[in-house]
Amino acid sequence: MSESATTLLRAPEESGGPLPGLDRNAVEALVASGPPWLGQRRLEAWRVYEETPMPTTKEEEWRYTDLSKTLRLGELRLLPRQEREFAPEGAPALLTGSMRSDWAAAGHVVDLDGSVAHTDLEEEVARKGVVLASLARAVETFPELLEAHLATEALPASSGKFQALNAALWTDGVLLFVPRGVHVELPVRVTRWFSGPGRAVFTRTLIVAEEGSRVSFVDEALSADFPAQTLVSSAVEVFARRGAHVQFVSLQRMGRGAFHLSQQRTLADADAALDTLNVSFGASVARVDLNAELRGAGAHSDMLGLCFGEADQHFDHNTSQDHGAPHTKSDLLYKAALDGAARAVFRGIIRVHPGAQQTDAYQTNRNLILSPDARAESLPNLEIEADDVRCSHGATVGQLDEEHLFYLMSRGLTRAQAERLVVTGFLGEVLSRLPLGGVVEKVSGIIEERLRA
Amino acid sequence: MSKAPILSLRGLCAKVVDEDVEILHGVDLELIPGEVHALMGPNGSGKSTLAKVLAGHPGYEATAGSVEYDGEDILDLEPDERARLGVFLAFQYPVEIPGVSIANFLRTAMQARLEEEEELDLFDFQDELLERMDLLDIDPSFAERPVNDGFSGGEKKRNEILQMAVLRPRLAVMDETDSGLDIDALQVVAGGVKTLSAEDPEMTVLVITHYQRLLNYLRPDHVHVMVDGRIVRSGGAALAENLEAEGYEQFRASES
Repeated sequence: MSESATTLLRAPEESGGPLPGLDRNAVEALVASGPPWLGQRRLEAWRVYEETPMPTTKEEEWRYTDLSKTLRLGELRLLPRQEREFAPEGAPALLTGSMRSDWAAAGHVVDLDGSVAHTDLEEEVARKGVVLASLARAVETFPELLEAHLATEALPASSGKFQALNAALWTDGVLLFVPRGVHVELPVRVTRWFSGPGRAVFTRTLIVAEEGSRVSFVDEALSADFPAQTLVSSAVEVFARRGAHVQFVSLQRMGRGAFHLSQQRTLADADAALDTLNVSFGASVARVDLNAELRGAGAHSDMLGLCFGEADQHFDHNTSQDHGAPHTKSDLLYKAALDGAARAVFRGIIRVHPGAQQTDAYQTNRNLILSPDARAESLPNLEIEADDVRCSHGATVGQLDEEHLFYLMSRGLTRAQAERLVVTGFLGEVLSRLPLGGVVEKVSGIIEERLRA
Repeated sequence: MSKAPILSLRGLCAKVVDEDVEILHGVDLELIPGEVHALMGPNGSGKSTLAKVLAGHPGYEATAGSVEYDGEDILDLEPDERARLGVFLAFQYPVEIPGVSIANFLRTAMQARLEEEEELDLFDFQDELLERMDLLDIDPSFAERPVNDGFSGGEKKRNEILQMAVLRPRLAVMDETDSGLDIDALQVVAGGVKTLSAEDPEMTVLVITHYQRLLNYLRPDHVHVMVDGRIVRSGGAALAENLEAEGYEQFRASES
């Protein structure tokens, strides 16, 4: 193991004093190290955080996920941002193995415990003005861009308790900026590794795709199992300007013990196509809040989600499709396969605001229950304030169909092979809707590996 | 000289699991390798039940009698075990498996036929699949489509025949009970069976049908008539023509 890698992945408390908790002192330390506009934003966010009560199951949006009882924020420790350099030698096999399959990329980011340790970008892409950078460094190098977009329009602190906490305490993250008319052919790939039990990591992603540009962004979070509760809070803000095409993929493969909270907001201007895919395989508790706003005429969002749970894993996907302009389209498909005593909650709302005529909005949630102890809750909802719209929603919770299994077994597949094939197909249908180089193969591979275990 | 039967039913009685009503009341039937048999009968006579019992559908159980395949009683075998011995059931209503391509499905089925440590050679499989599709005049892109998902009646039948061609069964049971109305589907089944029979003269086929039409394309060696869970008459191809003209009532009358 190379020395740099071992140093990089070692917790700083081993080399220095105790780590700070999630408190005002921590916010103030961050405020002191940044520009005034950001400091004010952090302090304001902290104020909102303190004033907002911890959500309980009394609130509709948190009815099935009780973080007030399960997440012990007071025991978590913050890891300040560190200047790190990533060295593949000696890095965890899960991390390097996953990165090896991502060779076809326009650029890479490696994030270790919430600090960006590596970025690279194809020369030709960089020459066109594309920026792929550590968000913390971008505060100095792209101050106007960040001041205009960070925790303002998309995910301001006022969006919720955890959005506020993230806006106050974030240490680093990723900035992707694509100038007007630039097409980035290969995806940008971000790989994050979380090593420390008992820590809280707050990271942000900001994607700004200018008019007519095209880009895909794949963000993968990895860790081993944790012996103690560990929090990863991720705030994602995506801006697709007029006619831009953006694909955002989140691939969550954290270990047990992890609480993964991902708050995402996508803003699609006129004629933009802003598609998302959220894949959840890991963590003990994974909550994804995704709000897709179609705010310009002709905007389009495909929203895809896939989760595969086992043992006592708990997934909660909370989505909203906000149509604020005419001729907009959103199409959501979320699927969950659940084994063991896993739980999945899907809550989705389609909102068509007045004036958003000729909107097409679809929402489908399907759950496949593989064991008697697994459970799924599906809560689809519509709120329509325009009269010339096409909207539909559907939800199913079902078990493996014996007729399906008999059909496959009558061709010679064993029951186990038949079950694997049905689950692969069930989840694979989601992937077939977002054909993105490497992602389909990678996710299919993970599903198959898991089914074989 | 007579060959040993590939399939031999003796006094087979069967019912739906969890129900008391018996559907098959003692079926006797013998199929010699290479023969094409037709099983006809009115709706509700038990034809499809017989097909399901032969393939081992978990919703049906044999209550008396025996089913010998290649000299061995197979009633205690799982559907997949029977399939690996060479029994194939072409479904009346093939099931849709969204997200699974035909190629992937067939690859898994071929892999299932190998010993546990053995790995299917994917290049060989691909060659074999293309060769089988070529034989049946099916476009190679067909194999990339998800199994039966959104297929027309004719396409579903084409998929059944393709699976049969790849799996090369020794005994094929074609459950075509109600599909006689779709002329396209009919020709796919008849043409496919003829092609595969010509290629493998030892393959035995039991076609279950409601109508004469399928048998016009596919001249069976033997025709059996099933009424109320029993085979009431067996004969040559002419029997089917007689049925077309006279209907099944004559047999019901002779029963009473």
